[in-house]
Amino acid sequence: MTATQTTPQQRRGRVGGPFAGRSLNEIGLIAAIVVLYIVLGSTAAGFLSLDNQLGMLRDAATVGIAAWGVTLVIIAGEIDISIGPAVAFSSVLVAKGAAEWGLGIPLAVLLTLAAGAAWGGLAGWLRARFDVPSFIATLGIWSALGGLGLYLTDALPVVLPESGLMDVLGGSILGIPTPAIVMVVLFFVFAYVARYTGYGRSVYAVGGNAPAARMAGINLSRVRVLLFATTGLLSAITGVLLAARLGSGNGGAASGLEFDVIAAVVIGGTALAGGRGTMLGTLLGVGFITVIGNGLVLLGVNSFLQNVVRGVIIVAAVLVNVIITKRARATRET
Amino acid sequence: MAADVASGSTVIVVDGVTKHYPGVRALTDAHLSIRAGEIRALLGRNGAGKSTLIRVLSGVERPDTGTVAVAGENLGDGGVRRAADLGINTVHQELSLVSELSVAENLYLGRWPRKGGAVDYAAMRSGAAEVFARLGLDIDPAAPVGSLSLASRQLVEICRAVREQPRLLILDEPTSALAAAEVDVVLETVTRIASAGVAVLYVSHRLEEIRRIAHSATVMRDGRIVDTVDVGDADTATIVSLMLGDTAKAAERPPERDVDRDGTPLLSVRGLAVPPKVLDVSFDLYAGEVLGIGGLMGSGRTEVLRALAGFDPARSGTISVEGTTIAHPTAAVMKRLGVGMTPEDRKDEGVVPLLGVDENLVLSKFAAVSSGPTVRPGLVRRAAERLIGRLSIATASARTPIVNLSGGNQQKAVIGRWLHAGSRILLLDEPTRGVDVHAKAEIYRLVRELAEAGAAIVFVSGELEELPLVCDRVLTLRDGRVAAELTGRELTTDSVLSAAMAA
Repeated sequence: MTATQTTPQQRRGRVGGPFAGRSLNEIGLIAAIVVLYIVLGSTAAGFLSLDNQLGMLRDAATVGIAAWGVTLVIIAGEIDISIGPAVAFSSVLVAKGAAEWGLGIPLAVLLTLAAGAAWGGLAGWLRARFDVPSFIATLGIWSALGGLGLYLTDALPVVLPESGLMDVLGGSILGIPTPAIVMVVLFFVFAYVARYTGYGRSVYAVGGNAPAARMAGINLSRVRVLLFATTGLLSAITGVLLAARLGSGNGGAASGLEFDVIAAVVIGGTALAGGRGTMLGTLLGVGFITVIGNGLVLLGVNSFLQNVVRGVIIVAAVLVNVIITKRARATRET
Repeated sequence: MAADVASGSTVIVVDGVTKHYPGVRALTDAHLSIRAGEIRALLGRNGAGKSTLIRVLSGVERPDTGTVAVAGENLGDGGVRRAADLGINTVHQELSLVSELSVAENLYLGRWPRKGGAVDYAAMRSGAAEVFARLGLDIDPAAPVGSLSLASRQLVEICRAVREQPRLLILDEPTSALAAAEVDVVLETVTRIASAGVAVLYVSHRLEEIRRIAHSATVMRDGRIVDTVDVGDADTATIVSLMLGDTAKAAERPPERDVDRDGTPLLSVRGLAVPPKVLDVSFDLYAGEVLGIGGLMGSGRTEVLRALAGFDPARSGTISVEGTTIAHPTAAVMKRLGVGMTPEDRKDEGVVPLLGVDENLVLSKFAAVSSGPTVRPGLVRRAAERLIGRLSIATASARTPIVNLSGGNQQKAVIGRWLHAGSRILLLDEPTRGVDVHAKAEIYRLVRELAEAGAAIVFVSGELEELPLVCDRVLTLRDGRVAAELTGRELTTDSVLSAAMAA
């Protein structure tokens, strides 16, 4: 007896997880990054230099670390827009803790990480328990932490005391920027979580069909609280790394970072509607955004105009992605 | 078939189960037993009590009195968990799969096997492959569910229940959303599951399917189990009369009217095909006529209307309005030609809940209540009040938010919207769905009045027994084709139901 056969063409859709086969979007992104490297390598002076490449890695970490968590959030059909102020506030918290509250660096770092998980968890709890839309819950965090960071510091940098730990976090290990190493390690952790843990698979199930997930016995509230606690923690890590690099905490740092993060995730092929997305896609999205940002600077484009160009490129990248997805679905259904 | 089943041990016994909801006796003194390996069909009209029975069996509802026992063990007050532990698995009508995940993952949704803490994809795939092999299905466990046909998804849903090794498998209209060609695989699969010793309770309206796979059929009416018959012995007429009882036959047909069918039809459809649901539908509709289209769920009723209103492109066939063939029937074109469709899902596709009745009425044609680009509140109010009066919509005022109205009055407003736009061809999809008996009668009356005033109306309904009450002529669809055309004296509740169901 023959049931409906699955043709190779039908299998083109992605199942999720970084090692499950390549989708058109990811191949397209790799191609785009290669093209950018060729173009910028031949037009932008110093683009290919080792220093610039290492600098790009450091920049990528600022976006990438938070992007791993936000990928899961968006796959689950939620959104987190609190990243920028959360990173800035974390840098203030760690500096204040070490410099003014006499906690010492290790304790100040731990306090910051715990606080990050706590405010993230709070947003998740508001979402899970009271159905506050996650956009609004994290908008509240965005506004509150942004204000608190500036209030505590009078918008002035808080200088970190000298410390070997901070030197390592802000510097390099074997020549590679420490934030980049953290980013790569966390990438593998999150790629594993997304694909090989019950929690990760629950995230896909909740984002794809929440009622079905509930009927299958998945605890939606637990998943949602964990999601935002994770992004809070990752923001705090990014904030600590940023403070280490700048030697100070700064309440106005990382302004607008949340949009770079969301753009990287969406360019990487994660559906804002939820259910679909991969860590590898986000990694490529982070790479894409970082290379463009770096290239525009090296080419000497006016910094206001840079935002215009980036805006156009981000929308164009997502547009291509949407068109590809639609076409794949259309061939599947006929 | 019956021989090998008779030897099976009794899996489930329902003894004297009664369930009341406030004001409704949903289930009265139900007795039922099913043996291992038996496929038992469950038949009845909407509201006959099938859903309540299923909910009691699967532990969702607790009976007021009576007991349910599986292999001698009482279900008691244990709820869904206890029912699952006893081996009762239910596949509900609405699909509950995650389309972005693979088939194997959906089979193990929320209960993913682990190996050293990590989700074990190999175990999932081989477990899924084993279930598919046992049932002779060719489905790739690694394929995303979203890439599968509707039939394959239904099979995956059934296999998920089978993987948990049920003793009683309840299937609630598993084929209702499928095209005819896809049904076979599902039926064969159900047969195989039963032959492995599982008792199956199979809800369906399609008699042909029931004849092919079921050993016996239990018929419900008005919350009672009327009879359990051997499928081989009972003919269609017997089953239909068991389902209907005497009540429906008593309903009144409106007096016969003369529809002038000599001139050019207002709407003419030839060979309309919108695969997979609609394969070949042709008919003429004249001014002043109410044409009913009946058929079971999945027979293509809604799809025909959507194609005629220009929402979905037809694969082939022609649509003519007043003798002129429409080359590109888009929604805008059909609206301009005077075609208006009211959707089946009033809440989600019909009304704009928070707007007033007035704006809900005029939003089909703002130009008619504007001067230049400006919408004139005075014109809106006058147009709305005129329609409210003409359709006798019961509302506190024209500006009352439409959600505050009863379902029947909301439906009248949705119909009135097309009168405002000046439509002459009204396509009404399930206009009486979810409204009470009184409101139904009002809608019938309104539809008749509009026809007498010269409109041409297509009245689609899955409640087949209402079609003779309002229509001049009825087409029944089966598997995407016109199965019968009934008019005049032949047009009765029995004849419509038989034509839609019969093999």
